[in-house]
Amino acid sequence: MSIEMASKGEGRSLYVVIGLLLLHLTLLSIQVKDPSGTLLFKKWVLLATSPMLNGASNVSRAISDFWTGYLWLHGVRAENARLKEDVRQLALLNSSLAQEEEENSRLRRLLAFDASLPYQTLGAHVVGRTPDFLSGTIYLDRGSLAGVRADQPVVSDGGIVGRTVLVTRNSCQVQLITNADASVGVMVERTRVPGVARGTENVLLDLNYISNTEEVNVGDALVTSGLDGIFPKGLPVGKVVVSQKGKTGFRTIRVEPSADIIRIEEVLILLGPPKPVTDSVAPGVVK
Amino acid sequence: MKYLFLAASSFLAITAQMIAGKHFFLFNFMDLSLILIAYWAFYRSRAQALFVGSLTGILQDAVLGLPLGYNGFGKTLAAFVIAEAGRRFDVEGTWIRFALMAVSSCLSSLSMFALFLLLQRSSSDVLLGASLLQALITAGVGILVFAALDTYNRIRTKRVG
Repeated sequence: MSIEMASKGEGRSLYVVIGLLLLHLTLLSIQVKDPSGTLLFKKWVLLATSPMLNGASNVSRAISDFWTGYLWLHGVRAENARLKEDVRQLALLNSSLAQEEEENSRLRRLLAFDASLPYQTLGAHVVGRTPDFLSGTIYLDRGSLAGVRADQPVVSDGGIVGRTVLVTRNSCQVQLITNADASVGVMVERTRVPGVARGTENVLLDLNYISNTEEVNVGDALVTSGLDGIFPKGLPVGKVVVSQKGKTGFRTIRVEPSADIIRIEEVLILLGPPKPVTDSVAPGVVK
Repeated sequence: MKYLFLAASSFLAITAQMIAGKHFFLFNFMDLSLILIAYWAFYRSRAQALFVGSLTGILQDAVLGLPLGYNGFGKTLAAFVIAEAGRRFDVEGTWIRFALMAVSSCLSSLSMFALFLLLQRSSSDVLLGASLLQALITAGVGILVFAALDTYNRIRTKRVG
């Protein structure tokens, strides 16, 4: 054998010896059994492969955990956000539908009231209200283009609300009956006793000019008398809540308006001309 | 042909060991196969010494009725130690050869002892003590054989020259 070949052989000796030693160990393992009777070869093969199997299983589990614990949850998070957005949208829609239903109900009542009125009417929305609702002024979305003029009665399904005072092309200002400057000719529906209802900057009205001798009870209904030249006769005004004899010869009477003045949203404007004033107008009536 | 010669020499070494051991008790304390391995490592190819170690080890196991691999493992390890030492040191000296053979014989016996202990859970301390004696005798006989071989080679070289 040449020197070159010999050195080449020596260079490989480490690999050769490892291979040979493994060969001998393998030979032994297929002949020798462990105390339990299992061939060592089988045991060693299992021993050699189990770390790889465990490692592969761990890697697989880690990937699976990563997938389920992060990526899948990431999708769930996005889905959760989308569902929350859907819930918000549905809540808004629900609220909108509830409002529409409520509005529908109000409009139905208003329509029914409108049908009972022998006047030409115009429906309008309340589009504005002075910051202090007790100041007694609201704004409607109808104006002169729709035929609205000043001093026209404004009513709701409950009863009278006020009268128009300022009119522009597309809107108008309404003086509510609760306004301190407002007065309405009324009468007790049961006894037909006339009087004048005035605003008090309060939710209640004062009923003036009813003599102590007249019988007015709590719960009596008031309707318009038609004597103020603004409101036609017979419209509901309110109900007596306080009725006492006064020191000046007139009773002290408080009236709760029939119309929901505070929460009013839709109204009717009576376009028909008010009845001509033929009788004496009750003192203090504002035209 | 070379590998056939390699196998034949291994077979002869084992057979000679058996025959001699049967008639001379002391031959049981001599490892002729280790001397053959050392010969291949010192005088021939060191890589091929590994094959000689493996083959003689397996033949020895077969002859002794042991599971194949005990002696093969030990002898391969011994061959590697001798071959590596021969690559790194000058192994022409008598004492270094003696030491190398003794150490590699001990290593071979120790590896067998460890394998017995690990695989069959039993071993004999007497075998370990006998192995030490075997290592010394084998190394001594090996030195004598190699000295004779060196002398023969020198005479042959002079004659050719």
